[in-house]
Amino acid sequence: MVQITSALPIAKMVGSNRVVLGHGIVHVAGDASLSFQEEKELRRNLVLDALKALQSAEKE
Amino acid sequence: MRVVHYLNQFFGGVGGEERAGMRLEEREGAAGPGRLLEQLLGGNAKIVKTLVCGDNYAVEHQDEVIASVLKKVQEAKAELFIAGPCFEAGRYGMISGALCSAVQSELAIPVVTAMAGENPGADLYREALYIIDSGPSSAKMRDVLVKMAELAKKLVAREEIGLPGEEGYLRRGLIRDEFVEQTAAKRLVDMVMAKVTGGPFESEMVPTSFEPIPMPPAVKDLSKARVMLITDGGLVPKGNPDRIEGSAATRWGAYSIEGLDDLKGDDYEISHGGYDPRFVQEDPDRLVPLDAMREMEREGKIGKLHNEFLSTSGLANPLSNTRRIGREMAEKVKKEGIDAVILTST
Amino acid sequence: MRLTLARHPVTDIRFETATRLEGTSLFVDVEELRRNILEDDSLRNVDFETVCPGENCRAAPVFDIIEPRAKEAGGSQDFPGILGSPVTAGMGTTHLLAGAAVTVLGERAAGGSGGAIGRVLEMSGPAAGGSPYSSLNHLIVIPHARSGIPNHAVQKAYRVAGLKASVYLARAALSQRPASIETFDPVGPTEKGHEGLPRVAYVGQIFSRQRKPEVDEQILYGANTDGMLPVLLHPDEWLDGALVPSYYSSLGGAETYFYQNHPVITELYWRHHARELNFVGTVATIAGSDNEDRDRNCRAAASLVKWVLNAEAAVLTKYGGGVPHADMAETARLLEGMGVRTAVMVSDMSRDRRVESALLFNFPEVNAIVYCGGNGTRWNAPQVERVITGSPEAGEALAGLREIGAYNVAGVANQQGASRLRAVVY
Repeated sequence: MVQITSALPIAKMVGSNRVVLGHGIVHVAGDASLSFQEEKELRRNLVLDALKALQSAEKE
Repeated sequence: MRVVHYLNQFFGGVGGEERAGMRLEEREGAAGPGRLLEQLLGGNAKIVKTLVCGDNYAVEHQDEVIASVLKKVQEAKAELFIAGPCFEAGRYGMISGALCSAVQSELAIPVVTAMAGENPGADLYREALYIIDSGPSSAKMRDVLVKMAELAKKLVAREEIGLPGEEGYLRRGLIRDEFVEQTAAKRLVDMVMAKVTGGPFESEMVPTSFEPIPMPPAVKDLSKARVMLITDGGLVPKGNPDRIEGSAATRWGAYSIEGLDDLKGDDYEISHGGYDPRFVQEDPDRLVPLDAMREMEREGKIGKLHNEFLSTSGLANPLSNTRRIGREMAEKVKKEGIDAVILTST
Repeated sequence: MRLTLARHPVTDIRFETATRLEGTSLFVDVEELRRNILEDDSLRNVDFETVCPGENCRAAPVFDIIEPRAKEAGGSQDFPGILGSPVTAGMGTTHLLAGAAVTVLGERAAGGSGGAIGRVLEMSGPAAGGSPYSSLNHLIVIPHARSGIPNHAVQKAYRVAGLKASVYLARAALSQRPASIETFDPVGPTEKGHEGLPRVAYVGQIFSRQRKPEVDEQILYGANTDGMLPVLLHPDEWLDGALVPSYYSSLGGAETYFYQNHPVITELYWRHHARELNFVGTVATIAGSDNEDRDRNCRAAASLVKWVLNAEAAVLTKYGGGVPHADMAETARLLEGMGVRTAVMVSDMSRDRRVESALLFNFPEVNAIVYCGGNGTRWNAPQVERVITGSPEAGEALAGLREIGAYNVAGVANQQGASRLRAVVY
């Protein structure tokens, strides 16, 4: 499992092993201030990071 | 005061490990350590029955033994139930904890037991019960019985029970409010002065430690993996059909994304009071990134995206709920043959 | 800077034709006070009541509680930045009416975690014993806003009305002899005379960015704190009117009364005077709006404590709920890493009263924690002879009251350090 979240201290505290930094509490996988294309790009990159973490043996 | 006492085969004087399979037996009056316990309870306390059972039998037939004991305690019109002391004996500690817990909730009479802090029974039952810390060694039997008797008398008399250090019980991990003499400000300055001068101080709260979760091995081949999306941001279908609560949620749901490439705001709502929901309501992919995941699927970066996402609300949710929800979700993950999960959290 | 407090005890407050302090009796010309307050044309009217210590009475929803205080000429201004120009507070002599308070009621509960009735001034009954406010003589001020005025303007009007009343009452004492005079010791990072004693600082949150402040919400010298970074303040600035609480405080709450009588600052002054420690100063800080804001503020506060105040120890308090809690812990963690020993004051955040659910941080070095209660304490709210409310709607909400929680009783779970309600782990 990989967790995408902006609340890193909490994820760290409860022992979540694979954590990817999300993009803000109110839109963890998006950004309302970006254009539609930019947002899709951001989300794609976030998901790619998450997939990378799943394949990594290192704690993130 | 009528008391019923539970002992295992060893303390009941029947035998050692070789008798651990014995069934539940009933004796009139006190037996083994019960004799001293009865004296220490004083006044008109009388152990009217001693129940003895083998540790193996008790653990293997726990429900039956509990039902039996409840019946006998009720028949004896007991006002107090005591089990143990168990010291290090793990099976003994488990059954004593289970029995005390059942008597407390079903019959609402005071219960006391005792065992070492490391006893597995302590872990399971310390929150529900007052468990005297007996330490591992039965050489301390007398001291332990004294503490058990003192605590038992207070419980029966409905007196206020003091702190773990004072009464000798294992810290239960519960919180209660009390008015004290000193203001928080005074206690705060006292504490920092002790800390900076190297003096002793006792923090009013000890940070809880979450047990480390062993890191699951990396996914070997994502291009063949079945991936599931889960969120604690409270995204649910319009109408919240499973009535997932926005705060302190006790429920979770599994929602179909079969054939969908994209989540539309019109089809969903957010049940979570802890963040401004506008952005996710506008485009739920901002919370559950279905569109990006479908791309991954199409491009062969993952094998298959599971046809449901799981959802609950993480807001102000006590661990008593979230531990259970996590376990249940994990069972679903296993059942569906999922290889990897992406959890998005607000 | 050495603040002097001149104390005038008050044992009763009565309405009369001329405002004066005679012995310990305060007579108030409410017509004059009314005219004074109604200079603010956001208000159409203002009502007044008096309440005695221990009276069979409750009043709600409480907007703020203020100790009557007025500056002698030649020193700082009364509530600079709000009633006067924003010049440094804490200088000269301040006359105060000890045993008295001005309590402002809102017309509507503020909402947030207070629920429909907000904070209640409980003067008698089982809850009252837990609050320092039940033993004071109160002038209750009930401002009535004109309709159609935006909420933030209404709240500003309430704020100004309360502070004006506080100054007006205390001015009656200016011509009287005080019962006692106290001048605070000179304190600061470069003061001499306390060498060798542990250098201790106070870091207090004054606002939480879980919400944006109103544009005209006056908190620190009349500024609304938006965008501010942590700032050094002399302790006397807290005590002498530089600070008032924001419009919403959650959990145990904060009142102007306990900025004026700040429990932590007062305790540190006392210990400084007793030569147990060297009180080197304070930092006022804010809980962040996101991770980046948190990082920025916590580091800035820690740096001020370490590199400017040169403190060896620090005590920290928070303002609000969970996010402020995490920010305070992070600041303490950073300080510990810099060699500054810390103690923090937390409120009980558990919902199920289990230790596991209680803390939102887990830093081994932040191991000196004062644990304030309130989360699980409720009292019977017996019928009282007199109920004072800000409006008929508030009155209705209060009428059905059978039970009251500790967070709803002003003063009981106070986050400024006045609380004696401890959350005990067992």
